Amino acid sequence: MTGPVLIVDDSLTVRMNLMDLLSTAGLQTVACSSAAEARQALAGNAFALVILDVLLEDGDGIELLQEIRGMPSGGATAVMMLSTETEVRDRVRGLTRGADEYVGKPYDPTYLVGRARELVRRRGEGASSGQETIVLIDDSVTFREELKTALEQARYHVVVAGSGEEGLRLAADVRPSGVIVDGELPGIDGATFIRRIRLDAALRGLPCFLLTGSEDRSAEVRALDAGADAFAVKEENVGVILARVAAMLRSASDQSARGATTSLQGPKKVLAVDDSETYLQQLADALRSEGYEVILARSGEDALELLAVQQVDCVLLDLMMPGIGGRETCRRVKCVPAMRDIPIIMLTAVEDREAMIEGLSAGADDYIAKSSDFDVVRARVLAQIRRKQFEDEHRTVREQLLRAKYQANEARTALEAAETRAALVEELKFKNDELESFSYSVAHDLRAPLRSIDGFSLALLEDCGENLNEDGKQYLRYVRESAQHMARLIDDLLALSRVTRAELDRAEIDLSSIARSVAERLARAAPDRQVELLVVDQLVANCDGRLMTIVFENLIGNAWKFTGKRSNACIEIGATGENPRTYFVRDNGAGFDMSYASKLFGVFQRLHSAAEFEGTGIGLATVQRIVRRHGGRIWAEGEVGCGATFFFTLESSSRGGTVTRPMPGAAPMNSHVNEDVAA
Amino acid sequence: MTTEKTILLVEDNPADEALTLRALKKANIASPVVVARDGVEALNCLFPAGPNSPLQKLPQVIFLDLKLPKLDGHEVLKRIRADVRTQLLPVVILTTSVEDADRLEGYRLGANSYVRKPVDFSEFANAVIQLGLYWLVLNEQPPCVTR
Repeated sequence: MTGPVLIVDDSLTVRMNLMDLLSTAGLQTVACSSAAEARQALAGNAFALVILDVLLEDGDGIELLQEIRGMPSGGATAVMMLSTETEVRDRVRGLTRGADEYVGKPYDPTYLVGRARELVRRRGEGASSGQETIVLIDDSVTFREELKTALEQARYHVVVAGSGEEGLRLAADVRPSGVIVDGELPGIDGATFIRRIRLDAALRGLPCFLLTGSEDRSAEVRALDAGADAFAVKEENVGVILARVAAMLRSASDQSARGATTSLQGPKKVLAVDDSETYLQQLADALRSEGYEVILARSGEDALELLAVQQVDCVLLDLMMPGIGGRETCRRVKCVPAMRDIPIIMLTAVEDREAMIEGLSAGADDYIAKSSDFDVVRARVLAQIRRKQFEDEHRTVREQLLRAKYQANEARTALEAAETRAALVEELKFKNDELESFSYSVAHDLRAPLRSIDGFSLALLEDCGENLNEDGKQYLRYVRESAQHMARLIDDLLALSRVTRAELDRAEIDLSSIARSVAERLARAAPDRQVELLVVDQLVANCDGRLMTIVFENLIGNAWKFTGKRSNACIEIGATGENPRTYFVRDNGAGFDMSYASKLFGVFQRLHSAAEFEGTGIGLATVQRIVRRHGGRIWAEGEVGCGATFFFTLESSSRGGTVTRPMPGAAPMNSHVNEDVAA
Repeated sequence: MTTEKTILLVEDNPADEALTLRALKKANIASPVVVARDGVEALNCLFPAGPNSPLQKLPQVIFLDLKLPKLDGHEVLKRIRADVRTQLLPVVILTTSVEDADRLEGYRLGANSYVRKPVDFSEFANAVIQLGLYWLVLNEQPPCVTR
């Protein structure tokens, strides 16, 4: 607990009564008779709870409440307003200003103590959460104290009660981890106590430990019958009892679920709505004597206003009232999701079948004639509260079941998705393997016959050349050329398929040096060519170096090839723009007709005749695949007789941008792409 | 005959066999060539089971194709390297394949060279000539391991 309870009331009787009640319940108290005194007390101490009268001699209790809420530690203190006022508006004012509870005078002592305990417990939860609380019920003070000491030494927090009835209330208030109850008690005995616990939806999971007399075998049987979790003979060594209690608490399941629903044994609040003052007072008295806190409202409008700020367990509603009346009030309550579960019992002055049907059709849960005995009212109220409690519990269980089902479904879906994915990956792997062996066969088996065709054509030329005329020799040369061209086609196709399959191995790569070494190889192979080569330094990109070598071999190779008929051949390699950086290979060679630009990158697409420039038509398709695998794009510009420029990027630009092929300088498209990448 | 350096050519394709032999002839390499047409035959040549074995001694060099009936080239190479009498024998893989996997496996198993057969016969002939010159003339065999 975080501190004592501060009682602020100008009536000495109330102060004495409250101090008496609370100290009996094991709570420390400090009493003040005025707002000024209370302010002093609050300045020096931390209180777990303040019980505050609304009307004080030197001020307004609600103003004091606001001061408390304004204090630095004000949020940690619970406030219970206590008032003789019967005005609904005061209650609404108090609750909206931050009161945790609003109790009307005359108060029911059981209710008030129960709520005080609940509020103190709620505030103290953080502090005492590590400790398990045990309710110990025994009428023998000696034994009770002995066991209490032993339990406290074992670091349990112990609350004691002398009777079964008190024990039930305590169990509802403090929500302990377990109960130890004596079999022999005045009033209800241990077995009855446990049976009642088991009947309460909120408490039924509470572990109960029964103590029996040594020869009392029948009591033990009755106790187990009633649902005790464990038992021990009172004469047993205290250590043995402690060990068994510990074992019982350990095995108690679902500790966290405790406290989810409110207990039937706990304090209940009933809202009574009637325009007849006399009947309202009689009803309130009858219910208060049963331990209910009764809130009074005199109209449907008041009731609705109050329900917006005050949680209640049951509403008693007069059908015939001035203003919006019982039926409309009922309908409006049942319209609000947060309130629709509150049981409403309709009251009417006459035994009227019509009125009953009218009330029930507006959504009331039950119907009572005002002429009925108050016992009937009490019984119906209890029945409704009990019904609501079980409904709440069922709903919780249903929600848990649904959640479990949903989770199971989700897990199954995830598993199915994983299995499908695995199957797809497996299939893909199978297809890749198949493709692999296909490519291997192509490489090996298609080339071998070509070698024969070429080899024996040459053998014919060399060994039997004198038997052939010039035409025959030329035919054999065509045969050899075709075989060699087909060998190149096969090699290029294999390179293309390898590019698609290869893993992308990205690193910071110096494209300038790749371009230079590719150009040097070309120059070595054709020493008679004079080509001016301009390569911009420091073209560094994050890419796969091996694949980029293939790109430059093709692009520079093409440039080299198509400038073959030019005396002042020039090849330029550089980059423009940022985000994404655009690289280019430019030549001043044969160029191409822009209307065929879209065909450049197709497999076997050639824009020049084989006689003009040799080639397989696969190189640019390979380049495009490499660029796309990097997430980039490639496009070309050219003019017949004036050269060609190939542009490419190596980073992804905006998705869907692959269809359009913006020319450099087409500013809107470029800047749009830039923004996307920057974002 | 006993001092003559022989070549073991393991090749299943008769056309390739004829072309290789023609290339060797054009290079004026007169060494006798024993031809094995599958992997099993190749191993029989090296490890003769009976007196009819055409090989009186180990060849100077083996030209080994990879794609072979019965036992493939890699398997033949593995067995050559596993036998103490042939573990140092020069083996040149002469194949159509330039797949990374094949090359890697060939060297891993202990091939001395890996040569791709070019389609152009002139190039192919050139390759065979160089191979013959190197392995039969230039290269000195490791000291003979006594049988």
